[in-house]
Amino acid sequence: MSASAPIAKVPVEERLFSLVLALLATETGLTKHDILSTVQGYRQRYQPAGDNANLERQFERDKDDIRDLGVPLETIDTPGQPGNNQNLRYRIPRGDYELPADIRFSAEETALLGLAAMVWREGSLSSESRRAVVKLRGLGLVAEEPVLDYSPRLRVRDAAFEPLRAALERNAIVRFAYLKPGEAEARVREVAPLALVQHQGRWHLHALEPHTEVTKTFLLRRIVSAITTTNATVAAPVGDQTARALAELEQVWESHTAEVAVVPGSDADTRLRKRRGTERLPDGTLRLHYSDANIFADELAGYGPEAVVLTPPVLRSAVRARLLATAHGHGSGHEASRSDESEVARG
Amino acid sequence: MQAQDKLAFLLSLVPFLMEHDRISVQETAEHFGVKPKAVREAVELIAVSGIPGETGQYQHGDLFDLAWDDFEENDQIVLTNLVAIDDAPRFSGREAAALIAGLQYLSALPENADRSAIDSLMTKLARGASALPSQVAVEGSESDATLALIRQSVTTGVQIEFDYLNSRGEHERRRVDPLRIESADADWYLRGWCHLRKAVRTFRIDRISEPVVTTEPISFHAGEVTLPDKLFEGTADDLPVTIDIVPSALPLVADYIPEGTKTTQVDGRVRANILVSHYHGLKRLIAGLPGMVTVVAPEEARRVVADWAAAGAARYEASDRENNARQNSTGSAG
Repeated sequence: MSASAPIAKVPVEERLFSLVLALLATETGLTKHDILSTVQGYRQRYQPAGDNANLERQFERDKDDIRDLGVPLETIDTPGQPGNNQNLRYRIPRGDYELPADIRFSAEETALLGLAAMVWREGSLSSESRRAVVKLRGLGLVAEEPVLDYSPRLRVRDAAFEPLRAALERNAIVRFAYLKPGEAEARVREVAPLALVQHQGRWHLHALEPHTEVTKTFLLRRIVSAITTTNATVAAPVGDQTARALAELEQVWESHTAEVAVVPGSDADTRLRKRRGTERLPDGTLRLHYSDANIFADELAGYGPEAVVLTPPVLRSAVRARLLATAHGHGSGHEASRSDESEVARG
Repeated sequence: MQAQDKLAFLLSLVPFLMEHDRISVQETAEHFGVKPKAVREAVELIAVSGIPGETGQYQHGDLFDLAWDDFEENDQIVLTNLVAIDDAPRFSGREAAALIAGLQYLSALPENADRSAIDSLMTKLARGASALPSQVAVEGSESDATLALIRQSVTTGVQIEFDYLNSRGEHERRRVDPLRIESADADWYLRGWCHLRKAVRTFRIDRISEPVVTTEPISFHAGEVTLPDKLFEGTADDLPVTIDIVPSALPLVADYIPEGTKTTQVDGRVRANILVSHYHGLKRLIAGLPGMVTVVAPEEARRVVADWAAAGAARYEASDRENNARQNSTGSAG
């Protein structure tokens, strides 16, 4: 270990800030030696004739922290010495660092972006939207006060979300156990994440199976193991993967319809009628769209006697089986079901 | 603040101060939503920072400088020398993605009804990012008509009236001064002063029907009434219920389990005690999580859930009988 003297300690943010300033100011780039020996926060600990391994590791971590903020810290070969690692040069190209001059936001847009940032209040997305708001404020505009007080919130309750998001950034292949409905055992899947999308209130992973080159969509709720991120990576996919993933999910949702008889004026009637895309047939029956029969069956079972699935048969029997299981699991005898039947209006 | 957050603040503060030849610490703090102390510390750091320069010695001209007297005596910020930074930083790919996904999620708001304006805002964010926005997105939705009416009622300062079906299944006509719109994932809520109950109440937007904007002026504006932190406040009348949860379903019922609730493991399930305002809401919750959550006690709660589910199942039996009878009668007629 180096015996760096306990001289006045430079705060981390001062070292990071000084590094950004130094790399922004250089056209040709600075070598690692230049940086460690001259930049504020490093130079104090630099040993001209000694071992700087600790300091070098510090520099590696600092580079990651700075890039994390969206600062395009780049590495270039020294002219005439390509591939010589010792002479790599570092810089931050101004054009890639600065917000393009034509990108400015109106007071109205600033207010909308403030709301958009408020949506995330937990996990890494929350710290990122907070930072984005700081950058937005740096542009000087004051947000227009909204007429109505809004407090929107999107939660990310799936434990798989954060590790999948990290893997997505690195194009890393991941492994997890996935329990498909109807299958008794979870199967281990190995895929390259392409996009994370929320559809109908649930997070889905759109991913590529590397050996088959087939893309598949997984529901995060059905991932039953921790996510293992492997060292293997794939080439970054081209194009907007989220749009593709959402379009595919939308297609599935569009193609699945169910006809459900609801008790007029009941909770099922009121709420199911408000679902996106619901059509009310002349006899009062609702035609509903859904993505996943098992999940929709859970939802419909919650309405108890207020909703009866007419078609498709697979959804009908799924809801019925759920209701019977719940009744059974709570000690229902047959008498109970009889006595209530008469109270319920026929849909 | 973490060091990274402090760095983001420094990099955003410099261009802000460049735009303002002279600005008070207080005003700057308010603009960024931070404490004046945080601004003072950041300004002090900026003022002694700079670039190593030709000599590698951080000489005077290579550093930012500040009108120190004005700063120390009047709490005013005047930068007198600038280095390296000319403009605001770009967003990171992840920052842009977080905002874009947030905008997508908010597409039901009346403020977002102008789709082309929102699309252009998203494009601007993507262009203002230093990397491709990361691949995270949320399905958009159509602008919600009820939310638009609520906003209209607030803009014009009049009460909104609607049919409301509470979780006990009772219909009532309610008149409300809207105070706040809240959401949690796919569920949207209106919080407002209810003239029927003479108290602050929370309404699920999807249980509201026949909303109309009245001509009656509102009594309370947002900010005039303190809203409780939680959407639904517990009361002394709440009923204790013991439930068993399959571990993988825990996130689905997290909202119902107050923080700090002691749980135990029973046969591979998680047992928790929760409070519910009545069993009508409980039966819907439990029946909607079939096989995942079971009520253990009290017996009455179990019975309410069992009856609810059994009544549902009985409707399928009845519907089968009807179908069979219909088939038989058409069969005999032919």
